[in-house]
Order: sequence, then C-alpha cells, then structure tokens
Amino acid sequence: MIFSKKKITTAYTVEQCLKCNTLTKRKFHDGDVLFTELSKCNSCDGLTRIEKIFGETIEQ
Amino acid sequence: MGDDSNPLMMIVWILPIILFVFYGQQIQLFVTSREIKKGLKKLDSFRGESKTELIGYLKNNLKVKDDPLKKIDKFLDYFTIMPVDMDPNGIVDKVHHTVRSREDYTRAHVKSLSPEMNDVELSKIQTLLEIASSLQMIYKIMNHMFLTAKKQNNYPLILPLQMILPFIMEQAEAMREAVPAFISGQPVGDGIGPMVVGKMMLEHEKETVAFQTSLSKIDFEDRKLFLLKAEGPASTVGRPADALQTITLENKLDAIIMIDAALKMEGEDSATTAQGFGAAIGGIGTERFQIEAIATSKNIPIFSVVIKQSVKEAITLMTKEIADTAEDVHTQVFDMIRENTSPGQSVAIIGVGNTSGVPQ
Repeated sequence: MIFSKKKITTAYTVEQCLKCNTLTKRKFHDGDVLFTELSKCNSCDGLTRIEKIFGETIEQ
Repeated sequence: MGDDSNPLMMIVWILPIILFVFYGQQIQLFVTSREIKKGLKKLDSFRGESKTELIGYLKNNLKVKDDPLKKIDKFLDYFTIMPVDMDPNGIVDKVHHTVRSREDYTRAHVKSLSPEMNDVELSKIQTLLEIASSLQMIYKIMNHMFLTAKKQNNYPLILPLQMILPFIMEQAEAMREAVPAFISGQPVGDGIGPMVVGKMMLEHEKETVAFQTSLSKIDFEDRKLFLLKAEGPASTVGRPADALQTITLENKLDAIIMIDAALKMEGEDSATTAQGFGAAIGGIGTERFQIEAIATSKNIPIFSVVIKQSVKEAITLMTKEIADTAEDVHTQVFDMIRENTSPGQSVAIIGVGNTSGVPQ
C-alpha cells in the first residue's frame, strides 16, 4: 500500500444565529453539543445555536 | 531453435511444473498466510488500542475507585449465549430477555466502577466497552480459524478466511475509528434519525416515556404528533418499541413514521434518502418485532425514511453530507404526514439510532 494516502478527519461545528440566520463554521471544541445555545452573533445581537457537528476528511 | 533439445532448458521448464504439482497448495498456503497474518496483526492492534483508550478515559475523566484493568478484562471476555432456536415458538421474547439482562448487568457493573458517574458518561463507557469487546471477539475468532488451518496444513480451510478478511477488516476499522467520536460525545452517522426528531422536539415539553426514551407531543396542521427518540446526548438507542406501546395504550395512532440510517449498497451514493414501508430499525430484531406487532394489532401503517450510508459512516463522526440531509428529511417527514393523514389524526414519528451527542 505504498500509494495509499493518509486520511485525516477534522471535526467542525456549525453555529446558526437564531435572529439573522447567519451560519458560522469553526473547528469543534470539546464540550460542543448539538442544539445548545452558545454565544452572541457577530452580525447582530442574537444568540447562536449549534446546528451541525460533522467531520470532513482530507487525504494527505 | 537449438534450445528445444537443450537438457538444461528442459529442466528449467519441468522443475517448476513438478514443484507446483506437488507443492502448489503449500506455496499458496504460505502466500495466503502472510496476507492473513498482516490482517490479524492489525486486528490485534485495534483491540489493544480500543482497550487502552477505554482504560485511559476511565482513569483520566472519571473518579474510578480501584484499578479498572481487572474488571475491564472480565467485561471484554463476557459472552452471551443466545437461546435455543430448535423450537422457534417464543424465541423473540427469549432473545429480548437475554439481551436486556446483559445490558442491565453491564450497566450496573460499569456504574460500580465509579458511583458518581452520570448517565451520559455511563452510556459512553458502555458503548466503548461494546466496541472493545467486539474487536476482541473478532480477533479471537479470526485467529482461531487461522491457527486451525495452519495446524492442519489445510489450504481449503484457509480460503473462507481469506475471502471474508476484507469485510471483517472494514468493520473492524470502522469500530476502531468510532472510538474518538464516542469519547468526544460527537454525533455519529447513525444519529441522523434522532438529530431530525431532536430538532423537532426543541422548545417543546419532553417526558421520559420508556427507559432512555424521550417523548414530545406537538401539534402540526391540526394533527397530533408524538415525537420519539432516545434520550440524548447519551450514547443510547433507547427503547422505541416500549415507548410506542405506552403511547398506543392511551392514544389512537393513524400512522407511524420512522427515520433511520440504512446501509447503502456498493455503488450507491452516500447520504441519499429513500422512502418506503415497514419498520426501519436495525439491531438484533426484537425492537422491530415489537413495533410490527403493535402496528399489526392496531392496524397502523408504518412509513419509513432512510438515509443511506456505509458501515463506517454509520458509527464514526457524522459526515457533512449526512448532516446536510437533515433539512431535507425534515421536509420529507412533513410531506409524508400531509399525504398520508388527514386533520384530526395522530402520528408517531420515531428517530431511530444512536443519539450520542444529539440532545432534544
């Protein structure tokens, strides 16, 4: 398997503002749980909620 | 042309033929054995790594009373003897009882490792233990088959092993890669059903309707919806059949909609959705039997939405493609309700799957 590439999966968290619906994607932090309300939105004064947690795999 | 009569060239041709006629099987056995040995070495490292991570997690994150190594070793070798099926009458109840007893036993004993452990941690440890013991069992069986073939010096005996090895390796690799997702409390591909229903349950009152199973009652276009899913973010599949039983005792249901992850066929795209009839629920079969029995006795049609994925995708961190289907499945469920029921009717919507990292 000298030609097989190493696959690395990185976990991401997508937050959505409950007021302006802006989506923000960032790396997953320990303690992130789906549907929990987190911080203030960067675009408005609304609260953001975790909408998705997923992994993206890249080959190296 | 002089080569035809050259005795040296004749030996060069004849020797390999004689070698392959008399020792062909041994040569094949040698080549195949090397391949299988590599696989076994990998399987051995998988079982070792999963056990080390489990013990590491117990020591670092939970206040374990004593050294957990001895207890974990005992759990890993625990076996389940399935009931005799010569007379299939009543077999489902027997299997159900055996599986539940094992679950209850493991839960109680894992809890005894650290009495302060909360339910989410407890379910996490149970899942990690299940993964580690499955990897241990796979390694033991494959090693046994290999050593038996080698002992007998029997090439045909090693052939089935060579044939199933790639499939076993795929499953074992999936299990090995599932460990970090469960440790971090991240949603796995199988959690797409609970994720869709969990989102529908947000901001609605929830009650525990069966063991580790949550229920919300909501109204939708003059219909009453009973939303069911395992209680997240713990790593559990809950008991949807028991929950459905409880609901039907007090309510008349007109349809059941089940949302679950399904194994895709080779060549099929991942994260595609399909609709169909019948109970979409995996596992050993007892939950499905119970749901089908309830639906048949009450004459309730069962509709299903499945999200296709591979074995690996189902038990490892949810992929972006699968997570992105949530909105579409949500819309499909509401379309199904409109198409198959009329105002005033009641529908149970069940999000089936492991709800690790997916609350409600």
